[in-house]
Amino acid sequence: MRIATSTIYTNATNAMSSLQAQADKLSTQISTGSKISKASDDPLASARLALLSQNTADNTVWTANISLAQSLVAQSDSTLDSVQTQMTRAQELAVEANTGTLTDANKQSIATELQGILASLGSLANTKDARGQPLFGGSGSDNAVNVATDGTVSIAATGNPSSIPIGDGSTIQATDSAQQVFGGITTTTGTTSDVFSIVSKLITAVQTGGDIGTAGTDLTAAANQVTNARASLGARGSRLDMEATAMTATATSNEALRSSLQDTDVTTAVSDLQKTMTILSATQASFTKLTSLSLFTYLS
Amino acid sequence: MSDLLSIGASGVRTYQTALSTVADNVANASTAGYTRKTVDIKEVSGATSLQGTLTLNGSVAGGITRAADQYKSADVRQSSADLASTETSVSWLGRIETALSGNQLSTRVTAFFTAGQSLAADPTSTAARSTMLESATSAASALKATGQALDQITSDLDSTGDTAVTSLNGLSASLAKVNDGLSKAAPGSAGAAQLLDQRDSVLEQMSALTDVSVTTDSAGRATVKMGDSTGPTLVTGTSAAVVTYVRNASGNVSYSVHRDAESAIASPTGGALAGIADSAQQIVSARAEINRVATSFTTGVNAVQTQGQTLDGTAGTAMFATGTTPTDISVVLTDPRGIAAASVGGGATDNSNLTALQTARTSGKYESALAALTTSNAATLSARTDVATAQSAIRDSAVAARDSVSGVTLDDEAVDLLKFQQAYQASSRVIQTARDIFQSILDIR
Repeated sequence: MRIATSTIYTNATNAMSSLQAQADKLSTQISTGSKISKASDDPLASARLALLSQNTADNTVWTANISLAQSLVAQSDSTLDSVQTQMTRAQELAVEANTGTLTDANKQSIATELQGILASLGSLANTKDARGQPLFGGSGSDNAVNVATDGTVSIAATGNPSSIPIGDGSTIQATDSAQQVFGGITTTTGTTSDVFSIVSKLITAVQTGGDIGTAGTDLTAAANQVTNARASLGARGSRLDMEATAMTATATSNEALRSSLQDTDVTTAVSDLQKTMTILSATQASFTKLTSLSLFTYLS
Repeated sequence: MSDLLSIGASGVRTYQTALSTVADNVANASTAGYTRKTVDIKEVSGATSLQGTLTLNGSVAGGITRAADQYKSADVRQSSADLASTETSVSWLGRIETALSGNQLSTRVTAFFTAGQSLAADPTSTAARSTMLESATSAASALKATGQALDQITSDLDSTGDTAVTSLNGLSASLAKVNDGLSKAAPGSAGAAQLLDQRDSVLEQMSALTDVSVTTDSAGRATVKMGDSTGPTLVTGTSAAVVTYVRNASGNVSYSVHRDAESAIASPTGGALAGIADSAQQIVSARAEINRVATSFTTGVNAVQTQGQTLDGTAGTAMFATGTTPTDISVVLTDPRGIAAASVGGGATDNSNLTALQTARTSGKYESALAALTTSNAATLSARTDVATAQSAIRDSAVAARDSVSGVTLDDEAVDLLKFQQAYQASSRVIQTARDIFQSILDIR
């Protein structure tokens, strides 16, 4: 084919500008570390990255919620541990009070210690959590228990505390209400009572000097109730641990996927850039040679 | 001997013309739209004398021939129109892509909903409430900015469309003048050849704006129709049409062609005008989808807000207000305590209405709709970019094929220059020889 002089120039310009563009693209990919700078670079990968980015944002907030739930469970557990210690001491005192050789003064001192235990239980039940809310609160933000001036403790928080979202459609109730932890105990008489009333009843029995009778049995039931509540929290604690592990695994695999979709393979990119630049400099050299070739050069 | 003298003189004249044609070709080697010219050198037909002997009369430059190939020129026009259409689309789709992804719309909507999930873990936290309200403001401003960016593109497209039809009208008028010139120019003259070059150059510029179908008459005058041969006439003889850019109520673009008293609607399939009409379509559908998502998002969130209860136990009020366009969104809820995290009757620590918000998010699919919009635009852009690359190669080869016929090759011109220079010198020598011979007759005493 006959090649017009202008075609030689146009072809060389086109070839060089396309090589320049290629080199620029590779250099941008290397410097930014990302092979996708806009969605149209790879629409399919961009669509998956958009989904991944949403997943990652969701997982981040759910992971934070799981941490919060874990801290609430841990706080409940340690508080209930203290409650159990107090309950154990109350049981010991109940046994001691049942001994027939006690003087009135001895009984009075036991009653006083039991009153101290009741006050401690009331104060433990009203512990505040990391969010500044009652740890054993119910659906409202009121106190978990009310402590009257005469030392009587009554349960205020009923209902289920709000569940915390920890996954897509998945929630966990990280705390229990005071009613769930301290209440709902079936006594020997068949009525339903709570930890505080049972301890109060024991105190009255000790003070009046009579037989404490069924109060000791009820106290055991109360201690069991607290143990059960603690066990239930423990189960939720393990579920949270598993969820946290799953979240970490998801985050790791999401990151691996994101990296494979988005990150520049630096080795390949650098080698491609080197190749492009070699071709570009060869094109420039051949262009210079080709254009210096003209019959007019030889006419004199 | 006067025969020899006149033959020599005719040779000198002929090769002078031939040499100036070569010089013209060399001078225009890089002129766009220039077609290589050659001189038709003809023998002057001899007359038979009474004696029956042959008389020779020398040569004459019969006319100037343009090395044009109308089919190759038509190929260049067609491939230019195809390329211009795709490149225009690519450029506007690129701007739509920037508008859709520049404001991180999907990310900000996600941030709003994750702030809701974060608040659900601690419904009484003022910090979490403030964060959620901030992310609502951020999502609203992203929607607003995206809407404004698309509106800006629409108005830029309008002015580009107006400029394009103005250029087309200017080219049509020029072509009508060229046609007029061709009616008056003598066929084969240098003037006619220059006018034909101008005609081809104008036609090529027109084909960058719209696909054209061209027919020429014996004088070289072009009749141009927009689109295929059944399309409205842009130029015939000395009459040129005026094209206007029309955007209808639904936002789609068309062109009307007015010539004399006639008007016609044209839908070009090539050139920048086709690319502009196609881009208008893309912008309209992107705008419609953004509007839909914005409306669905604001009404969805407001519905959840108003069905719930604030931190202070009062009924929730709307979070977003919409202005003149669906994306003109502002956040009207200013107090973070006003976020209705609780259901009616729930306490301050109730978060069940935030669960409803999460349900609205799942059923509304706002984020995936926004991501899908960006992706579908990106997929179209990516496909068009590939097409443009292919069309660019097709056009380059069409141009190379045309230039191999019409373009100037300096080596060829150098050869012609030598050839004609030598012929010129030889003809001069013939004149000298004739003079010498005549002189020798005069010298007879």
